[in-house]
Formats: sequence, C-alpha cells, structure tokens
Amino acid sequence: MSDVTATRPTMSIGGLWAGYQRWPGWLQNLTNATLGMGILLFVWWIGGLLIASNPDTQAFANFAPGPTFQALWYLIETGSIWETIYSSLYRIMIGLFWGIVIGVPTGILVGYFLMVRQIANMPFQFLRMISPLAWMPIAVLAFETWDAAIIFLLVMATVWPIVFGTAHGVQRIDPNWFQVAKNLGADGYQMLRRVILPAIAQDVFAGIRLAIGVAWVVLVPAEYLGVTSGLGYAINDARDTLDYDTLAAIVVVIGLIGYLLDATAVALIKRYSWRVE
Amino acid sequence: MTQQEHKASSIWIANLSHTFRKQTSPAIKDIELTIPKGQLTALIGRSGCGKSTLLKMMAGLMIPSDGAVRIGGHTVTKPSAKWNMMFQKPSLYPWMSVRENAALGLVFAGTYEQKKDSVESLLDMVGLSEHKDKNVQQLSGGQQQRVALARSLATEPDILLLDEPFSALDAFTRTQLQDEVAEICHDQGITMVMVTHDIEEAIAMADKVIIMSQNPGEIVGDLDVPLGYPRERSQPQFINLKETLFAEFEKIDQAKQQAMANAG
Repeated sequence: MSDVTATRPTMSIGGLWAGYQRWPGWLQNLTNATLGMGILLFVWWIGGLLIASNPDTQAFANFAPGPTFQALWYLIETGSIWETIYSSLYRIMIGLFWGIVIGVPTGILVGYFLMVRQIANMPFQFLRMISPLAWMPIAVLAFETWDAAIIFLLVMATVWPIVFGTAHGVQRIDPNWFQVAKNLGADGYQMLRRVILPAIAQDVFAGIRLAIGVAWVVLVPAEYLGVTSGLGYAINDARDTLDYDTLAAIVVVIGLIGYLLDATAVALIKRYSWRVE
Repeated sequence: MTQQEHKASSIWIANLSHTFRKQTSPAIKDIELTIPKGQLTALIGRSGCGKSTLLKMMAGLMIPSDGAVRIGGHTVTKPSAKWNMMFQKPSLYPWMSVRENAALGLVFAGTYEQKKDSVESLLDMVGLSEHKDKNVQQLSGGQQQRVALARSLATEPDILLLDEPFSALDAFTRTQLQDEVAEICHDQGITMVMVTHDIEEAIAMADKVIIMSQNPGEIVGDLDVPLGYPRERSQPQFINLKETLFAEFEKIDQAKQQAMANAG
C-alpha cells in the first residue's frame, strides 16, 4: 500500500486538502469568501442562460450578470445612482436615529426595573411581531408626507431589536458593579456614563445591527409607495420601464450597501466589546 | 460617650439591631462596638451570623432597622469613598485597563488629574507595575484583587472594610495578600474592619478579633492579638493565639447551641 501512496501525483485531492489546512486563517477565509461569491455569480449566470434560452422568458434576459454589470457601470458613470442611494440612506439614518433615541432609554428601563419589564413584556412582544409594513395604511393617514410615513415604518422596524438588545445588556450587568461604583462615590450620571453605558454598549450595537438588517429589508418595499426617490422607487421605476438590467443593478447595489451597513455594525460591536472570548 | 472619645474612635456602633423584611426575628441584635482609629479588627463567625450585614451597615450599603453606625461623629446613611469596602469578588470593570480601574474613585471625585501620580505609586505598591496598561481580564485572580485593593486605597479612605476579600484565592496568594493589606493599613493608619470565617486569617491580620454567633447575630467575645507586622505564621505565639481563638470560638459556639436546645 505504501508504494501506491508514494507514487500518487502531488496534486491529489488529499494533497490539496493537507496544503489547505496549513494555510493561515485569513487566507482560508478569503479563499472561501471568494468561492462563495463565485458560486453565487455562477448560479446567476446559469439562471441568465436558462432565461435567455427559453422563448417564454427571453424578454427578461437582461437579468443576467453581463447586462446587469453594464447597467451598474452606467448608473455609476452617469452618477444617477448616488442621488438614489443618498435618499435611501438618509431615510435609514433618520429611522435608526429615532429607533436609538426611543429604544435605548426604553431598553434601559425595561432591563433595570423588573416592574417595567413585567408591564412592557406582553405589549412589546405583541407589537414586535407585527410586520412594519403592516403599519403602512396607518402611517399614511397619520403623517402628512410620504417621507415621514416611511421613516415611521423604519422606526417601527428598528426600535424593537434596539429595546431588546439594550434590555438584555442591562440585565447582564453584574450587580456588584453598581455596588462598587456606589461605594466609590458615583452619582447617578457617573453610574450611567462610566458603568451602565460601557457595560451595555456591545449589546446595544448588537441590537442596532439587527435593526439595520430589518430596516434595510423594510425600506425597499416602503419606497414602492408614494415617494419619487430611493432604491425602492428606482426598482419600481425600472420595472415599469422594462429596464430589467437596471433593476438587477439596483438589486446588486441594495445587497452591497446592506453588506457595508452590516459590516459597520459588526465593527462597532467589536470596538465596544469587552468580553474576552 | 463623650465628644472627645468620639473623635478618638473611628467607628462607633450602639444598640444596633436589624430585622430583614418579611422576617420576625432579628438577623443581628444589640450590637455594641467601638473601634479605635487605626485598629485592625476582624469579625469572625459562622456563615449567617450577620457579620457581613454588620459590615455593609458600616459601609452605608445597608441601613439598620434599629440603632446606627457612627463614623467620626456622623451617622452613616450612605456609602462614601472615605469608608471603602472591598468585596469577595474584585468586581473590576472589564472595559477598563488596570490603571483606569484603580483610578475610578478619583475620576468620580473629579480629582484624578491632580492625583495621577498616587495611582501610579499605588499600583507599584501592590506589585502591578508591569500590568498598568493591561485589560483586567488578562490578570490572575490574585492580581485582580490587587487592582481592587489599589482602587480602594486610591481614594485615601480612613476606613477600609473587607468582606472576605481573599477567600477565592489560592493559599499562597492569600497569605501574601493578607500580610500586604495588614501592613499597608498598619503603616498608613487606616482603620480596617474585615469579615472572615478563617481563624488563621483573623490572627494574621487583626489587632483585635471580635467573635459573633448566630440566631440572632450578636457579639459574644473578643481577643486581642498583640503581635507586630509582618507576622510569622510558624511562630509559637501565632500558633498559640490561633489555638486560643479556636478554643474560645468552640466554647462560645457550644454554649450557644446548648442555650438554644434548652430554649427550644
């Protein structure tokens, strides 16, 4: 048996695997990430070919990667995409801002006081399970502008993960930290600034990360209605004008920005994380 | 007690009793205790004798239902950096470095900028010179308790209250820290009150040992420890005192059990 393995060519699967295992972690990660994106592109490309080869679906052939990236390049070159992205990001940021302004203090109260937690639990769990989009008719009635209505929907999407993330962080605070700080002469503000906020920061950002995810998903369908700017509007507009390559290009942009927003949140969690793994 | 005596005593406790909510019999009863300035006192007793409760009342972390703790003529109603408590767990803040943890009391008081140097020298004193910039999670249990000690000393307290602060440490680290803390308090004239159920720890650190018994928690005896610092644990005098204290404790404990059996 041993002479068989000795004569094996060096490029065998086993040899490759052994080589791969010796790579540093970052290189394995990079290779696998590239592989994942490669598979995604490949499936997309195959899908494009299938659509183009079927007479029934030929009209949608521009969904394929080739036309999409051409359209994407055109959007970037003409600069029209930036306005669209800016509108959407602006809405997300305002929605997130209010989500944080409402969610963090609420979460601190819910996490800190058992009574508040008992009072809030049922209503919050109930409200949290309602799709933010289900608020659309109410939002349209309640707010004068479409923009305000959309931002309201985004707040309904972002506030719950932030409330629950914050409350979770507060509940995990070691009670001795309060006792020690009190003992060292901390007043209420110092307790908040030096103990509570640093202790919960990573859980708050974990909540914000979830909030960004939900808000970004909710934003596009919310922008189908009323407004004349933003990525959701752009998608709808491209569908109406049969610009399927542009439509697919905007889908790519949505995915890319979503990924960048998530990566930012992950970086913030890492920055404010104090637990040694 | 006269005003004069008040000033000479650091902690003065009179007629102090405490009954926890939803309980009928007091957890501690009729505590009378005067601790002179600079004395190192150990409160010993079984678990549940109320020694930690008594210590928390000295720290102002609990308010007695009857009677009061007075420090320097003032009734203790809330915690203060002037009477500082060290707990069983170091409870350091894991998002801060060693230095930031040690300086926290000064940051709260707004005096860190003026007293920066004192934090540095305290950290040197407790043997953490090499670790000042490290995150506290990188330290061993003994090193963490040293940070907590530096943190307690940084606010220059008159009184240091210790609630079994070394019980989670290994034997070698424990004895080393016992010696260091006792010497620091002795040298700097800090009044120390510690709670322990370790008879050797009491003899190693205290000038005076107060014995408490349970049901209800009360003071039932005391013992002077006329030894200098540092103390040699293998010294015959040390061993004698340890045995005396142990015998005393057993005698009191048995008498109490007997009394309770008769009463029941």
